[in-house]
Amino acid sequence: MTLSHVLLLASALFSVGVYGLLTRRQVVAILLSVELMANAANLVFVAMSRFRGGVSGQIFAIFALALTVAEVAVGLALVILLYRAHSDTRVDLASELKQ
Amino acid sequence: MTRPVMYALVALWTPAIAALALAALVPLRKKGWPAAAVAIFSSLVSLGSAIALFMDRLHDEVPQQLVAPWIHAGSTVVAEVGVRVDGISASMLVVVTLVATCVQVFSVGYMHDEPPAAYGRYFTLHALFLFSMNTLVIAPNILQLFAGWELVGVTSYLLIGFYFKKPSAARAAVKAFWVTKFADMGLLFGLLVLFAATGNFGWDAKLSHGVATAVTLLFFLAVVGKSAQFPLHVWLPDAMEGPTPVSALLHAATMVAAGVFLVVRTNPLFAQAPATRMVMLGLGAATALFAALLALVQTDIKKTLAYSTCSQLGYMVAALGAGSMLGGFFHLTTHAFFKALLFLAAGSAIHAVHSNEITDMGGLAKKMPITASAFIVGSLALAGVPGLSGFFSKDLVLEAVEGQLSNVPYAALMLTAFLTAFYMGKVVFVAFFGKPSNEKAAHAHESGLSMSGPLMVLMVPTVVAGYFGATFAHVQGEHYHFHFGTGPAVASSLGLAGIVLAYFVYGRGPRTEQPAAVALVDRIAKTRLVNRVYEYGFHNVTLVVASGLAFVDRYVVDGLINLLGYGAIEAGRKARPIQSGFAPDYVLAVVLGVVGLAVWAVFGSWR
Repeated sequence: MTLSHVLLLASALFSVGVYGLLTRRQVVAILLSVELMANAANLVFVAMSRFRGGVSGQIFAIFALALTVAEVAVGLALVILLYRAHSDTRVDLASELKQ
Repeated sequence: MTRPVMYALVALWTPAIAALALAALVPLRKKGWPAAAVAIFSSLVSLGSAIALFMDRLHDEVPQQLVAPWIHAGSTVVAEVGVRVDGISASMLVVVTLVATCVQVFSVGYMHDEPPAAYGRYFTLHALFLFSMNTLVIAPNILQLFAGWELVGVTSYLLIGFYFKKPSAARAAVKAFWVTKFADMGLLFGLLVLFAATGNFGWDAKLSHGVATAVTLLFFLAVVGKSAQFPLHVWLPDAMEGPTPVSALLHAATMVAAGVFLVVRTNPLFAQAPATRMVMLGLGAATALFAALLALVQTDIKKTLAYSTCSQLGYMVAALGAGSMLGGFFHLTTHAFFKALLFLAAGSAIHAVHSNEITDMGGLAKKMPITASAFIVGSLALAGVPGLSGFFSKDLVLEAVEGQLSNVPYAALMLTAFLTAFYMGKVVFVAFFGKPSNEKAAHAHESGLSMSGPLMVLMVPTVVAGYFGATFAHVQGEHYHFHFGTGPAVASSLGLAGIVLAYFVYGRGPRTEQPAAVALVDRIAKTRLVNRVYEYGFHNVTLVVASGLAFVDRYVVDGLINLLGYGAIEAGRKARPIQSGFAPDYVLAVVLGVVGLAVWAVFGSWR
């Protein structure tokens, strides 16, 4: 297993995340896609730490995890609010900003 | 601060404080009579200090002034504001405050039927006018004089349009404002030329011949407007729409004389411009004759007096043009007294019969002895009957003009003297003698003390002012000695002939038709030629140019601005669909942006 393998895996995960982000209409699915992208980035941090030495990559990954948790908390709160407003969680319902 | 300067400051600021107080304290003004009390009290204080100042000038000829910096340019002061005390300002101050006080006391009775709010407004404006006029009179430089000049213009506008609900009064006010404002450009541009040449606004600069002629000609344009000289005299007869005491104070005695005063004040400049003085001599004499002819055919007593004012101002301008500062100024002074007296007496008669037409009066001498005697004394002084003030000053004017420009102006002024006596005789005989022409005239009675008192006061200087010619000249630093030569003899004989002729034409019962010569003048006057030239010019030149400019403004200037605005609106309309409001679209934009940046980072070149 070399660095290239891991980076390819991370790229694949990230691309799947982007695809999900663009195509999904359910907010929960979008949140899952965002998580996928964030974890792809974390994987690159850890892989760099593993193959290049040093611990800063691992520390970054820990920080990013904490950040992701906070992001999910906010994101789920938004999902609940959206559901309360529209009785549904499809993202294309939330277009009030246009008005 | 010296004593004379203090007198001047008191004379200047008392009416200003009165005007400010009446403007600010609304209940005081709306109540009516307290406003009159405040205004008259301030005028009396002003008059007292003006007289004290004049007395001081009798034995002290050194001019004094107190000034404060006004306009700075960098570290230098280019204009000052303050008071200047000398013979000219002291004499004029006495004339202005005396006439103003008499007119204000007269107004108490004359304006009695006005509602209290209008009554208060009237006296507030009077206090403001007195302050403005005093600012002009005691100005230490021409710039402050200009400020006062414009202030009296504004108060004149407000007082002509005092009955602003009457369309003719509102129109007359606007006309007066326009005409004088057009002329005032001359003073403004003259000041600019003077400043460019000398770097200050004083009147004692030595100028080159060309600059002196340019500056004085521009100043003279302002004089023509303010002092109602031909061809800008058209506003003065219309200004008679204002209350009669206003006509007495502003449009006969003081404000219209401001033009003459400007020339007296800036005499050192005019003395350097013989060409301008020739223009003044010609135009002044022409105005005197022309206005006297028009006065001949008026049946409105105020309009007769208005044209007579034009005519007498023509005398003053002609005297100044002939180089006699003293002649012009002396005639200004005596004219202020007797013309104010005439206007106030006319006002008293109008108040009694409720009409301006002399044909609606008749036989008033028996009913209103004080008014009639005031009017007759004023008329005799105006006609230049020996012994009265107008005789001495008119004689001084004629003496100065004699021999100039092949005696044409001299002859014109002599003829004017005859016509003056004739039209004043006509007014006196038709309005005050004969039989009352209607019920109102038959039941007219003498006005109250507030109106007859000022008449009696003004009769005094009208009779005696002529004998103080030497004193008056002494205060100006000039010499005057009256001698009864051929000029005065001819002029006063012509005046007496005019009165006698008026008696034979108008003094023996009512006349239905006019003498042929008068009828001819009447026919010419009815064409309103000068007014029609202005109206033609207004419709065919000013309006055409203005509508052309309006077109350019509306469709070119505004069009460009509107085009810019329209472009912005359209661009916004076109760009609006980009903002769909759907979150996935924005995410797509972000992703594409990131991809684009990544591609650029990898394949693009930074350097």
